[in-house]
Amino acid sequence: MIEAQKLCKEFQDKKRGKIRAVDQVSFRCQPGQIYGLLGANGAGKTTTLRMLATILKPTVGTAVVGGFDVVREPDQVRAHVGFLSTATALYGRLTAQEMVEYFGRLYGMEDGTLKKRVGEIFGRLGMEEFRDRRCDKLSTGMKQKVSIARTLVHDPPVMIFDEPTLGLDVMTARTIVGFIRECREQGKTVIFSTHVMSEAEKLCDTIGIIHDGKLLAEGTLEELRQRYQRPDLEEIFVHVVEAAA
Amino acid sequence: MKARNVAIVFRKELTDTLRDRRTLISSLLLPLLLFPLLLAGVLGLTIIFVQRAERQTAQLVLLGEEHAPELARRIRSLEGVSVLRASNQYVQLINEKKLQAAVEFPPGLEINLRQNADQTQRVKVYWYEGELRSRFMLRRLQKVVKEYRDEIVKVRLAAHQLTAADARPFEFEQKNVAEAEKVTGNVLGFILPYFIIILCLTGAMYPAMDLTAGEKERGTMETILASPAGRGEIVLGKFLVVLLTSLTTTALSILSFAVTVIAGASALASISKEFVVQVSARSAATVFVVVLPLAVAFSAALMAISLIARNYREAQGYLAPLMFVVILPAMGSFLPGIELNAKLAMVPILNVSLLAKEIFAGQYSWKMMGMIFGWTCLYAAVALWFAARQFRREEVLFRT
Repeated sequence: MIEAQKLCKEFQDKKRGKIRAVDQVSFRCQPGQIYGLLGANGAGKTTTLRMLATILKPTVGTAVVGGFDVVREPDQVRAHVGFLSTATALYGRLTAQEMVEYFGRLYGMEDGTLKKRVGEIFGRLGMEEFRDRRCDKLSTGMKQKVSIARTLVHDPPVMIFDEPTLGLDVMTARTIVGFIRECREQGKTVIFSTHVMSEAEKLCDTIGIIHDGKLLAEGTLEELRQRYQRPDLEEIFVHVVEAAA
Repeated sequence: MKARNVAIVFRKELTDTLRDRRTLISSLLLPLLLFPLLLAGVLGLTIIFVQRAERQTAQLVLLGEEHAPELARRIRSLEGVSVLRASNQYVQLINEKKLQAAVEFPPGLEINLRQNADQTQRVKVYWYEGELRSRFMLRRLQKVVKEYRDEIVKVRLAAHQLTAADARPFEFEQKNVAEAEKVTGNVLGFILPYFIIILCLTGAMYPAMDLTAGEKERGTMETILASPAGRGEIVLGKFLVVLLTSLTTTALSILSFAVTVIAGASALASISKEFVVQVSARSAATVFVVVLPLAVAFSAALMAISLIARNYREAQGYLAPLMFVVILPAMGSFLPGIELNAKLAMVPILNVSLLAKEIFAGQYSWKMMGMIFGWTCLYAAVALWFAARQFRREEVLFRT
């Protein structure tokens, strides 16, 4: 489960002074569900997810991820989370197998278990053909598969996806979307950020609309439609954001 | 901090670094080839220029030749020398390097010599210092003139029933008592510390940039930060790879220098017979130990600075001025007459440069070595603390 409790993050900007990128964000995401954070660029999605993945430390507030507190137990949180974003690139000079094994070892997996697990994942994702190829020689689709394998290697109960389909072609994006669904079917807790409305409509059990660092609205797609009397998610999003401005 | 995670990060970063062509060239290939290429280049060019200068015919003018027909005949008989018609423009011609020398005989030189005139006669040679052909011409002229003068002296001594020993009652002999290693060490001590310090820095430079700014540029920083490895474990694993590369570069440069010196010893001996090249393995090992904390300081400082940069190119921009900061004190070994003292022992880089110079000369004191080692360890600890701190600063890690 993920439970964010009044998460705040402030940054110091030389020109603009103190900036509050995330402001009192609270939400809850249950296992077997996909929670979608929907927001425009700069809304605070990435910062929120980075705090959940303990890459950034909250200025105020906290979150419990997979049963561990992000402020007090960041190492435990990272050990139980799979984090994937367009910014999580691969080590170009490592092969696909070396890349996945590296992270498996960091997750504390023993060699025997790791080999078996890597074999399973590579077979399932159809990666056998390029397992010994260096990551910088792989196509975008292949790279995404390696990234998925990296996040899955330790079989984490919580998955965090930060705009995972950004800049990808249709086929590669479909692979990612399919993978996110699979995670839900396996009972994992999934949080996912996007600014693509159709993706949020298709995937998310709960949608949170975030703007200017604040969580402005939250609910299932049906609840949001009823609350704002609009059938289309894009219309709802624009309405919520404009009302807050 | 888990040692296992540090080892995993270290192993991965080492594999990654060994597959990076830039690092391989700057950290392994450059130190191996630098000294052989330098020596081969310098010696090769010297030999080429000397041989060319020797082969070319030297141009000469004789001024007042009628006053010294015998000496002029001997000069004219020199091989590869062409005597041109006397010209008043000889100074200008020598300056323009169209003429290698001009010999000016005083009026009535040989008549005066035959008549045993009391006054010493003066034969002047005009030449151009710095031009190889002119220098060669001067040497040959000096030889001819000396032989001629010795003959005259011999005749005069015989006329007075004196021997050569009467004219030269005693010799002034110099005897060098310094061991060959110390003589060589003094010479090497000037240049070697500088190269070792610079290579120690450049060896660490590329992996430091690659594992910090390079990681940001390639977008893998977030990937590694999302892993369960702690920031301290990541920075230590990376640092150990940078340090290992720096030390490998230093060791390779010392090894390459030793091999070059042995291989080039005969060539150097041909320049000066007194120049016996000999550096003990103990001196080299001691210098390596002294450089060790400096390599730690360099590796940590380079990582801390590179981490501020957003990409590889920006990191290069930050590190370029650092090169100058290091070069200046590293050149301390070039300066003659500077003696290590307690104050200088505190000055980073300069202290190691001066100490390495003394070690090669075999004149170091253990007390001074201990002091410098201690100070350098302190600087290394500060640099390492700074690097670890940088790795915990979000505004540095996510600077875009």
